[in-house]
Amino acid sequence: MANRLICGTPGLISVTRTLGRQGVCLSRPQYAVLCRHVVPMGTTAKEEMNTFWAKNSRSNRPLSPHLTAYKWTMPMMMSVAHRGTGIGLSGAVSAVAVAALVLPGNYPYYLDLIHSLSFGPFLIGLAKLGIAFPLSYHAFNGIRHLIWDIGKGFRMAEVYRSGYAVIGLSIITSIALVLR
Amino acid sequence: MAAIVRLSSVCRRGINRNLVRLTVFACAMQITQCANSLLILALTAGSASKAASLHWTAERVLSILLLAMAPVAYYNPGPVMDYSLAAALTLHGHWGIGQVLTDYVHGDTKIKIAKAGLFLLSTVTFSGLCYFNYNDVGICKAIAMLWSK
Repeated sequence: MANRLICGTPGLISVTRTLGRQGVCLSRPQYAVLCRHVVPMGTTAKEEMNTFWAKNSRSNRPLSPHLTAYKWTMPMMMSVAHRGTGIGLSGAVSAVAVAALVLPGNYPYYLDLIHSLSFGPFLIGLAKLGIAFPLSYHAFNGIRHLIWDIGKGFRMAEVYRSGYAVIGLSIITSIALVLR
Repeated sequence: MAAIVRLSSVCRRGINRNLVRLTVFACAMQITQCANSLLILALTAGSASKAASLHWTAERVLSILLLAMAPVAYYNPGPVMDYSLAAALTLHGHWGIGQVLTDYVHGDTKIKIAKAGLFLLSTVTFSGLCYFNYNDVGICKAIAMLWSK
């Protein structure tokens, strides 16, 4: 009867009554409102993972031929490329930051230095593409990831369609950025 | 710190350069410590899974923010965008590489060493970008100059 007093809504009453019968949590009225039927776990996820890795690295078993045995699919390659471009871009940003701290001159000085080497327009365009394409690809595939995060676009056909859209948009955007 | 900044704005080059570098570094450390204490608060308030879930959400929010910053930086370049971009870029990279480390590095000590190295790299990156924004042309202007080449 104390349960009915604590949780007013009719839906909760049946739940709390069954929980009360099992003697979990609700026996203490101060926990009644926010209580869930929680069973304490024996180990944490971290502990489980560590045990797995400790056991498997100790046994020196050969690694499954996951990269050589299976067909390289488009979504798989795009995922690898997303990670690769991410690491590459982050590395580039860090390199620029370290250079700013370490190198003696200022930015216009180094830009003029590159100017004075007088590369042809083709090489300059190529260098710009080298920056623009990874950036556009990572950004567009990032949007694709965010769409997955809200739960949309997981059907195989949708995965492939969005993948091709990302590649197409990346190529168009990077060429547009280089040519402007 | 404000006094040091004012001093160094008067005499840009030479002796105070290292002092500015140090204060920028200290600033970066402060901000990351702030973020860490927020995380600890989440951990004590809820549980480890709650903190992980919050982290996941924060990563997505930051990604959206960074995407939005690109057109804003193009149409409104300036010091505000420079510093916001520096912070968002560094944090996004830090969390991203953190996920890569979680995937490939196993074993408690190795994880600890790798995460420490990443923290150092991100702190240096943020300090370097802030230094560039303060003592040089700034990120937005730099990209504009590079692209007009």
